[in-house]
Amino acid sequence: MPRKATVALLACLALAANGQAQEWLDRVDDKLSLNSNNGFFRSSLTGLLDAEGYYVDQRPPGLLYGNQSFFNPRATFFVDATLGNHFYAFVQARLDRGFDPGEADFEARLDEYFLRWTPFDDSRLSLQLGKFATTVGNWVPRHDSWLNPFITAPLPYENLTIVSDDDIPASPATFLARRSLPDMKDSWLPVIWGPSYTTGGALLGTIGKVDYALSLKNAAVSSNPYAWDLTKNQWRYLTYSGRLGFRPSPAWNHGVSFSVGAYLDTDAADQLPAGKSIADYNQTTLGYDVSYAWHRWQLWGEVFLNRFEVPNVGNADSIAYYVQAKYKITPQLYAAAAWNQQIFGTVPDGAGGSQTWDSNMIRVDLALGYRFTRHLQTKLQYSFGHRDASQQQGEQLVAAQVTMKF
Amino acid sequence: MEMSERNALCAGLLAALILFGAGAALGQAVIEGKVTLPDPEKVVAAPPRYAGQVGEIAPADPPVAVVYLEGTFPASATNSPSGSSKVLQEGMQFRPALLPIRVGTEVSFPNGDEVYHNVFSYSKPKRFDLGRYRKEDKPATQLFDRAGVVKLYCEIHQHMRGVILVLDTPYFTRTQTNGVYRLENLPPGHYVLKAWADEKRIAENPVELVAGQTLHVDFDLKKAAH
Repeated sequence: MPRKATVALLACLALAANGQAQEWLDRVDDKLSLNSNNGFFRSSLTGLLDAEGYYVDQRPPGLLYGNQSFFNPRATFFVDATLGNHFYAFVQARLDRGFDPGEADFEARLDEYFLRWTPFDDSRLSLQLGKFATTVGNWVPRHDSWLNPFITAPLPYENLTIVSDDDIPASPATFLARRSLPDMKDSWLPVIWGPSYTTGGALLGTIGKVDYALSLKNAAVSSNPYAWDLTKNQWRYLTYSGRLGFRPSPAWNHGVSFSVGAYLDTDAADQLPAGKSIADYNQTTLGYDVSYAWHRWQLWGEVFLNRFEVPNVGNADSIAYYVQAKYKITPQLYAAAAWNQQIFGTVPDGAGGSQTWDSNMIRVDLALGYRFTRHLQTKLQYSFGHRDASQQQGEQLVAAQVTMKF
Repeated sequence: MEMSERNALCAGLLAALILFGAGAALGQAVIEGKVTLPDPEKVVAAPPRYAGQVGEIAPADPPVAVVYLEGTFPASATNSPSGSSKVLQEGMQFRPALLPIRVGTEVSFPNGDEVYHNVFSYSKPKRFDLGRYRKEDKPATQLFDRAGVVKLYCEIHQHMRGVILVLDTPYFTRTQTNGVYRLENLPPGHYVLKAWADEKRIAENPVELVAGQTLHVDFDLKKAAH
């Protein structure tokens, strides 16, 4: 991000702490809207300004780029617009150093844009078209910097496995040899890549205590952000995903999810075995998520069973899960902790045996957050991750984040 | 004491009480009038961005104002207990959206919806966060012991807005939605009458209250906006 933009962002954050600025932000909160006189058309602009610092002891694992500590400013703008009671449009635009922190010097992107049609007066059914977050799991609704109790994503959403979407292994041996390499961040895939803003359509709704979502999109949930835009894979290889949620009481929310679709990049087609196509190699994911809240406590958990069908290797299975807890110590201060783990199955090693195909991983996240006002908060996170492997990347991460919301 | 004497004494005491009461009533003043209220704010919740976020939202309360008397009051008035009050969350709105209370009042926050709410305020007179609680839970309460404006929000439903106006006076009322108000049992004397719709819409008028008289005072809070 250009130096001037970074300075402007820091100045905004400093001003946000000022008392008068708070009142101004309160008013801005209500005024950045454009409405027709009769209220038929309504639109509002909101946003988040983030300043993050990542301090790592070695090259960080997962979806943090760079080999040393770095600063990561980010500006996110949201536009919500409604036309009557039946049409809703949403746009999320971001200016930052790449979708994943430190990936680039400066980027401006439209991360999400969709149009939703709700034919009935209640929320039993909606049809949504555009580029939007995955319907799988329960992390998406709290994935922005204001709502996420942590700075980084849970392990299933960012731990890179040795499965690649564009580099087809010639044999099991070459596939397994990747275990001793540092993460290839532009090529390897996690189970779900962050909020997975892929392009397509969805049917979603709520009926009583049940909510559902079914989506048809252009890329797998593990796909790299460069594959999310419609221009990349168009509609050649579809991914079907869905979630069925059940809320037996306000405290509990259960959900089961699935996703299945081709995960290889179209550019990798010429590396495939003879007679095979991209569509022959799917990523299949089954998930269960649960959340619970009571007074000062909020808890979340998700578990994913994931299978990559790897050319020349076979089925590469893994299980990834996490449990997060957040506790409000005072009205403005909270503490959060998370336990994350990913365990890998075995694949044939090509020599008559089988081997665990990637290094099992654990990660513990601890965070403290403080909300100065309704518009300004800060977070501090410490994470310790460990792989069952000789190849260790940065095991420790300290990250700090200041967010202004308007 | 004979029965007839006892009856006569009781009747005399009763008569004295009635006379005293009537005198007390005659010694009080009344203010009534109409506040021209600001237009309703157009804070409309956008639909949820992501699947699985639920809730039908009822319309917010129409705007009202608080009218209150400021000044130095008789000790008997200021020593009276502050009592209790409540702010309900219903239809994903605070009801009432504007609650005037006296310093020292305890307010409960019952949840009338089938979903969680999380009422909080970062206002200087009272910072609190009630956490998540259900309709069936015993409502959390807060004691408001400092005068000022306490803005209420819900962490889960960001469109929800409410205000508790904590006043250092026992003489206040909330207008009807047409702006009409009436303040009764006011002590005679020189005071300032204020009308409050929000922090930017406040109007005031000095008043001289005379026992047994009704004063008529109107305010225009549409024009009072800074």
